[in-house]
Amino acid sequence: MTPPDLARRHFLGHMTTGLTGVALARLLARDLVAGPVPRTHFAPKARQVLQIFCPGAASHIDLWDHKPLLGKFDGTPLPGAEGEVSFQGKNGNLMRSPWAFAPAGRSGKMISTLLPRMAGHVDDIAFLHGMSSRTNTHGPGCVAMNTCFTREGFPSAGSWVSHALGSLNENLPTYIAIQDIRGEPPNGKANWGNGFLPAQHQGVAMSAQQPLRNLVRPGEPAPGEERAVREHLAFMNRAHAAEHDGNGELLARMEAYALAARMQLAAPEVSDLAGEPDHIHRLYGTGDANPLKAAYARNCLLARRFLEKGVRYVSLYCASRASAVDGLLNWDAHKTLKADYERHAPVFDQPTAALLTDLKQRGLLKDVLVLWCTEFGRMPTHQEGTSGRDHNPDAFTTWMMGAGVKGGVSHGATDDFGRRAAVDVTSVYDFYATVLHLLGLDHERLTYYHNGANRRLTDVHGHVIKPVLA
Amino acid sequence: MKTATALGNFLRSGALWALFPAALSAAEDGAAFFEAKVRPVLIKHCHECHSADAKKVKGGLLLDTRAGWQRGGDSGLPAVVPGNPDESPLIRAVRHVEEDFAMPPRQPKLPDAVIADLVAWVRMGAPDPRDGNSGEARRADKSWWSLQPVAREFRHRTIDGFVDEALAAKGLARNPPADARTLIRRMTYDLTGLPPTPAEVAEFAVAHAADPDAAAAALADRLLASPRYGERWGRHWLDVVRFGESNGFERNFIIDDLWPFRDWVIRSLNDDKPFDRFITEHLAGDVIGKNRPEIEVGSAFLVAGPYDDVGNQDPVAKANIRAATIDDMIVTTGGAFLGLTVGCARCHHHKFDPMPTEDYYRLRAAFEGVTHGRREVATVEQRAAFADATKPLNKRLAEINAAVDRIERAVAVRAKELLKTRTFPRPKIDPELTEETFTPVEARFVRFTVLDNTEAPGRPPPRVNNRRATRAGGRLTEFEVWTTDGRNVALAASGGRAEGARGAVAEDFPEAYGPQLCIDGRHGEQWFIGNPAELTITLARPEMIDRVTFSNAKGRGLMDKAQGATPCEYEVKISTDGNEWRTVATSFDRMPWSERHALERVRGEVIMPEEEKELAALERERGQVQAALNKVPKLPQMWAGKFDQPAERTFVHKGGEPMKPGEVVRPASLEILSQVTPAFALAEDAPEGARRLALARWITAPENPLTPRVLANRIWQHHFGTGIVDTPSDFGFQGGRPSHPELLDFLATRLMAHGWRLKPLHREIVLSRAYRQSGAFREDGGRADRDARLLWRFPPRRLSAEEVRDTMLVTAGRLRLEPMGGPGFRLYKYTQNNVSTYFPLDAHGPETHRRAVYHQNARASVVDVLTDFDLPDIAFAAPRRANTTTPLQALTLLNHRFTFDLAAALAERIAGSDPVGAAYSIAFQRVPGAEERAAGEAFIARHGAAAFSRAILNANELLYLD
Repeated sequence: MTPPDLARRHFLGHMTTGLTGVALARLLARDLVAGPVPRTHFAPKARQVLQIFCPGAASHIDLWDHKPLLGKFDGTPLPGAEGEVSFQGKNGNLMRSPWAFAPAGRSGKMISTLLPRMAGHVDDIAFLHGMSSRTNTHGPGCVAMNTCFTREGFPSAGSWVSHALGSLNENLPTYIAIQDIRGEPPNGKANWGNGFLPAQHQGVAMSAQQPLRNLVRPGEPAPGEERAVREHLAFMNRAHAAEHDGNGELLARMEAYALAARMQLAAPEVSDLAGEPDHIHRLYGTGDANPLKAAYARNCLLARRFLEKGVRYVSLYCASRASAVDGLLNWDAHKTLKADYERHAPVFDQPTAALLTDLKQRGLLKDVLVLWCTEFGRMPTHQEGTSGRDHNPDAFTTWMMGAGVKGGVSHGATDDFGRRAAVDVTSVYDFYATVLHLLGLDHERLTYYHNGANRRLTDVHGHVIKPVLA
Repeated sequence: MKTATALGNFLRSGALWALFPAALSAAEDGAAFFEAKVRPVLIKHCHECHSADAKKVKGGLLLDTRAGWQRGGDSGLPAVVPGNPDESPLIRAVRHVEEDFAMPPRQPKLPDAVIADLVAWVRMGAPDPRDGNSGEARRADKSWWSLQPVAREFRHRTIDGFVDEALAAKGLARNPPADARTLIRRMTYDLTGLPPTPAEVAEFAVAHAADPDAAAAALADRLLASPRYGERWGRHWLDVVRFGESNGFERNFIIDDLWPFRDWVIRSLNDDKPFDRFITEHLAGDVIGKNRPEIEVGSAFLVAGPYDDVGNQDPVAKANIRAATIDDMIVTTGGAFLGLTVGCARCHHHKFDPMPTEDYYRLRAAFEGVTHGRREVATVEQRAAFADATKPLNKRLAEINAAVDRIERAVAVRAKELLKTRTFPRPKIDPELTEETFTPVEARFVRFTVLDNTEAPGRPPPRVNNRRATRAGGRLTEFEVWTTDGRNVALAASGGRAEGARGAVAEDFPEAYGPQLCIDGRHGEQWFIGNPAELTITLARPEMIDRVTFSNAKGRGLMDKAQGATPCEYEVKISTDGNEWRTVATSFDRMPWSERHALERVRGEVIMPEEEKELAALERERGQVQAALNKVPKLPQMWAGKFDQPAERTFVHKGGEPMKPGEVVRPASLEILSQVTPAFALAEDAPEGARRLALARWITAPENPLTPRVLANRIWQHHFGTGIVDTPSDFGFQGGRPSHPELLDFLATRLMAHGWRLKPLHREIVLSRAYRQSGAFREDGGRADRDARLLWRFPPRRLSAEEVRDTMLVTAGRLRLEPMGGPGFRLYKYTQNNVSTYFPLDAHGPETHRRAVYHQNARASVVDVLTDFDLPDIAFAAPRRANTTTPLQALTLLNHRFTFDLAAALAERIAGSDPVGAAYSIAFQRVPGAEERAAGEAFIARHGAAAFSRAILNANELLYLD
């Protein structure tokens, strides 16, 4: 424990005996607002997390996981699984990917030509090709990819990290969820919910399109009014606190108002993209003619600015929920894979690649762990009567990059057609055991009591995926 | 220990424990054998993972003491069954009986001679001289405190006797009594969730000065009789039973007819319905109160939780979803009524409490026939009246339909004859690509009027003024207009504009489903055709055109099929000025899409005038009858669940996997309480309702020690902030230990003595001296008992989310108390497009100025003020709310329009000669001090009363209670 922490504990001890004082009040209040002093279990490799999430089950075999035999056996039945019934019904024959794969980087990683810019990063990425999920349904799948539980109500990984490590910049939320302009992901806010952890650990929704709620008051204040209201409130609260010894919460609430005031200054500043130079805007594509791409590019740029300012955990969504038309608003290409992904991939490719480039060129990747997630994969067959693919919980790809991660690695593999994870199979538990490990946390020791159990992010499972560690 | 289930009933029967004395008496001779042959083996091969010295104990099993293997590991079963090697998990493990349970792990089997020694040792009764605890007890057995009968004799006769005794043991004493204002504020918030009025405070101060005891008693009686009581304490209970008004999961659709359950909870508490009765109505209200809605509604409890309703075709996924749906009922029932974490026994025996996995499935057997959904909940009289009103109308409707069919059949016969003489030279339309060519013509506007689409059933809309109306529905991905030199000039990229009604809307994504998707040059997204079904394309400039094409296929070139219906009867018109239209192509000489479409083509030619007349008359009458039917009030429906006799028996799911059935389980009482409660066990195929009723009777049986203890503890918790057990829905090993065990039993006994009525118990508690003491801080107390669990002071608290909002409304004079109940109000905008989205509102209108308990709480939604102040997401029961302090609370209370609206209202209320005095009186029920008055008046003079009111609404004094 560092000396300042000791000092704080010391003060806390006095607090309970009724001693007061401005410095003490502030220290104590911070404890109550921000939670107890965060501690890692061992030396961390990463301090912050950027999680990029493509909801709708982005197809592993059309983006990241090259399956040459799929082309060779295109139009023939999947051996041993003819007419298999999956989420939406019956499956047809094997269907080749509509896009060629090409080698990229020094590692020669085969990646879909649908993602030309992302191909430039493969040497820094550790792919997990052997992922498998417990559910074939989007909502539970997204929630599981964020919380390790298919049932909603459990804390998201970002909330756990906030709970464990606290804030690096109290003037901004610790955990920010940037949702797509097209709307919320499946199961909405449950994806960044704090579950049973205290509310200060919830992901706070804000994006380039949607500022932090209630950050500014409605209407135009008269000159000096805002400041005067705060000061009068502080005056009333001081008088009240003076008569209520031994209630640290009262001081914490006063501190919370001071924090809110600082947030009112910090949040608009960090959200203002106007000061970014032209070449950066061009790199991300914020001025693109495709409004969906431009919006996502702005969110990517915003994510970088949050990370720069020390936001602990940023979740960035590319696409949203299921709509009445499969694959319209997200990566759920049930019926028309080609048309759907030719709509989604261009939105994703350049801005994401730019964000990675930018993080790298600014040296942020030595602190930031980057994750790419989706809830599960897609079938190697086409859905009967369509040219799309149904849900496949048995195989999908995720990847990691940045702080503490070995680049140019592909860990795990699916079978010949990408139907099932077959080699070095990994789960969301392993995924987050690894994330926590990189953050200096033992996933088996990070626990929180709730309704009869000491809950963990990784439930009762999970092994650190050592081959992807640098 | 995965093999543990194989040992079955033998172990759980308790027979094992009977064996012990015999086994131990034989141990004298065996001690030497143990030392020579067993201890060294255990140390060498097992201690690394199964001893107190292990870096990490595996499977919770310790083998370094006798107690260790007797208690066993996480499975809850002993590792050694003395005398029976074949059933001893330890022996099975070293023999590698089960592949996935072979010890030592990842190593070759132990030498046969060593295994033989271990077997011999078990056979001789497993003599083991190693006394002592193996570490601390790590799990509860049936001697666990909460599983013992409730005590009936006590050392004290009042609550204060127990409290004072516990304080004295720590050398502490209670605070002096609280002053009158503090007490009435405390008690009014506590029992009603609202602040007292200034007049009530003043009146009480007078009465209190005269006779504090009598004044407090009168106050308690008044508050307990107030309907506000049920609104406050009902809200506590709704947290416990995870009441939420959307289904959660992927679609999270809103449920608009579950509010009667909420009203029933509030009404039941206001009526002081005996709680055993109340619990029974939760589990089996429909059984004991059939056709009595005021009772039936209780069993909506079962379906008030989240559940996954997404259609899943995968059979394994289906079984898992069903298991998760019933799991919600099991877990909630166990936690709410019994304080048991039954969910921990879903995949294996409970790791901490003496609950076999079968107990979980016994509860499942009770709920096996429950599914989510709505049904009619009505009285016998309502049902009879409804039948009387609708029967004749339905009969007449059937007659009309038959008559219409008769005529239509006759017309169809003639139409078919006529069709034989007709030819349609052009092919059917092709949903993937249909082309219409015509003589080159100059056009600025092109209009595509859809008269019918390929949807199979149904008849097109009736003609209006002898003109065919358009037919909405169906979709198009592209509509192209080609010039004579082969350019598609409809394209938006070429300056084309498309207009047309759309048949679907995604509120948060305005571009979705719009007609512009027809001219975006991409075969991806579709225009959903609305009403009128007409697409008008305006070209950038007049063009010579000779062809249009349209398509409903997505992603041309692969194996695409059209999705949804496609226009198949249509007219294509052009115009140069947008006023004069000329038809250039129609579908009428194409092969009709189907027989129905063919008949429709010639219908007008073969129908006879008298037939048309008769049909018109029948249609008219049908309209009238239908209108009369619609006017009959529907039988009330609500989200109360559906109950069906289960088709299958209930099985244990091995490892929690529905596809791995274990032994059959009957609807029965739980083994964990078998020593204290009379057991029941119904037949495997017992009637559905009888299962739930039997469970309810068992939960509320007077011998059941958990139910009254858990309930009494909840009451205590809400009065003092923390329960005697601070984990209110977990009275097991992982939960908290009671701070005042005897007091808890005393309260449980009082509760039952009061006939399970809560109000008398509330009264005893709030009139205790412990409750009526001051909340002042004292150094000695703070040092010894920081959170005041022992009640050396009354613990101060922040208002709950609902109290914060209600208090702001009361302070502004805007809270509307009547009518109570009914459909809830919403602080979000609800949109639904396949899945639901909840957008928090920026302004809260007067319709939201009701008590927050009436907010329609949807799952996974975030609403201002309530969510900020820890209204839980009701995915799970929330028996104890979080209490956080965050900057987001400050931002909301400072900046949300709600605060500004209420600040303006409060400013009006306090206008007058003494606004500061009025504000302090309304908000804090006290007179401001001189300094406060001076500062307030100076502030108002400079910034106005509204800004002052905004500060008041943010003040700590408004949000904290002593």
